[in-house]
Amino acid sequence: MTVSRLVTEALAVMAKDLRTEFRTRVALNALGLFALTVLAAVSYTVGPYRITAEDRPFLLAVLLWIVIFFAALAGLDRSFVKEEESHTAPLLRLAASPTAVWLGKLAFNLVLIYLLMAILVPLFCILMGYRIVLVEGFVVLLVVGGFALAVITTIVAAIIARALTRGALFSVLSLPLLLPLLIFLIQGTTGAAEGTSETISNALRAVVSMGGIMTIVSAVLFPVVWSE
Amino acid sequence: MTDLMGIMVVTLMIWVGLFAYVYRLDRKVSRLED
Amino acid sequence: MRGAHILKWLLLVWLAVVIVAAFFYVHPAEGFIGESSRIVFFHVPMAWISVLAFLVSCIASVMYLKRRDPKDDIRASVSAGLGLLFAVLATTTGAVFARIMWNAYWNWDPRQTSITILLLIYAAYLALRGAIEDPERRASLSAVYAILAFVTVPFLVFIVPRIYWSLHPDTIINTRGANEFDARYTQVLMASLAGFTGLYVWLYTIGCRIEAIRQRRRQEVL
Repeated sequence: MTVSRLVTEALAVMAKDLRTEFRTRVALNALGLFALTVLAAVSYTVGPYRITAEDRPFLLAVLLWIVIFFAALAGLDRSFVKEEESHTAPLLRLAASPTAVWLGKLAFNLVLIYLLMAILVPLFCILMGYRIVLVEGFVVLLVVGGFALAVITTIVAAIIARALTRGALFSVLSLPLLLPLLIFLIQGTTGAAEGTSETISNALRAVVSMGGIMTIVSAVLFPVVWSE
Repeated sequence: MTDLMGIMVVTLMIWVGLFAYVYRLDRKVSRLED
Repeated sequence: MRGAHILKWLLLVWLAVVIVAAFFYVHPAEGFIGESSRIVFFHVPMAWISVLAFLVSCIASVMYLKRRDPKDDIRASVSAGLGLLFAVLATTTGAVFARIMWNAYWNWDPRQTSITILLLIYAAYLALRGAIEDPERRASLSAVYAILAFVTVPFLVFIVPRIYWSLHPDTIINTRGANEFDARYTQVLMASLAGFTGLYVWLYTIGCRIEAIRQRRRQEVL
């Protein structure tokens, strides 16, 4: 199969998912409302001034990434679960190659996660009074971290869509794989808030290598999961 | 020294008990296989 | 068959000697409080087996995806079950040691973090197995998950501890401190590792045989 055909198929899968998503907004609601509710709860209970200045870069980074990760766990399994629930998966298997499906679903999840970040992160910084010194580094961290998060949740979502107890299983299976990523991203964000570029580049290297390896492994293993 | 002796004896007893259990399990599985 | 029989009894004596040696042949290591260093002879093998079992489980998973032999699936699941057991033992022995040395059962030391995540991975793997009914689908999906988890582990073991400062003593992972303990220490530790590995192999073969019988029975019923 040629690359151009693969890309067109993948884009078609993504476009189809986006269209159905904007019709029902199940995943968007799950992701967005979860993030906003938790953000409201955190900012109400902790507020901008409850944490001392020296603890702030680290503790606020922890809170930010926990909100992002758990919001992702609340909604990113939809793209695959929906196919199984509405029994459209067999049709999709016929219509597109496994790799195209994987790329399309990954792109869809990427759109969701970046959309979430674009709204949540500025709000978080405003509500919690989180000052980032190295903004460029922080943005790169968000982009790369969002990508790695989407890669891991996409393959896990593909697995759990074919199991019996989907909702609970998604978090249970994703979290062990996501924890190292969470640790690196928190560390890097702390660096961005403190203004130490070395911490950011160390964290970035770890996140990039983890995201890269996960991308390769998912690309190889996805056909096994999909075509069973 | 006596404390150490006591802990060692308990550890040994646990090991022998575990061994006996696994050994019996092994025999039982062998019987079932025939 | 006869050789295997002798090996079992040899294992009984071997580990019994290791236990006696751990308490009376080795002198307490310097830098450890009281006799606490003796738990190392049991803690390190548990941690080693939990990683080894995980490795076996992953290799079996890869083999399953390659040749689709149900036996490989049995191997992967049995090894994961044993790995979970040994990981729990490693965690508890480690916590006891941490209480004596650092006065807290748990302080999220990087080593404790990595073993916790290993526990989570095992638990997630077994939860996934429990949630899929079709045997072939269960086998291939859990194999994929095992491989994904396997890719994650090096990050936990090698990169996370570098980012965080660790209290955990370097023993076999880092060989530069080899002369910190005397030769007797190394002898007993190696003997203990060998003995527990033998125990793991034995339990693993029994587990595989039990699963094979179970599957055969299920087919006979159907």
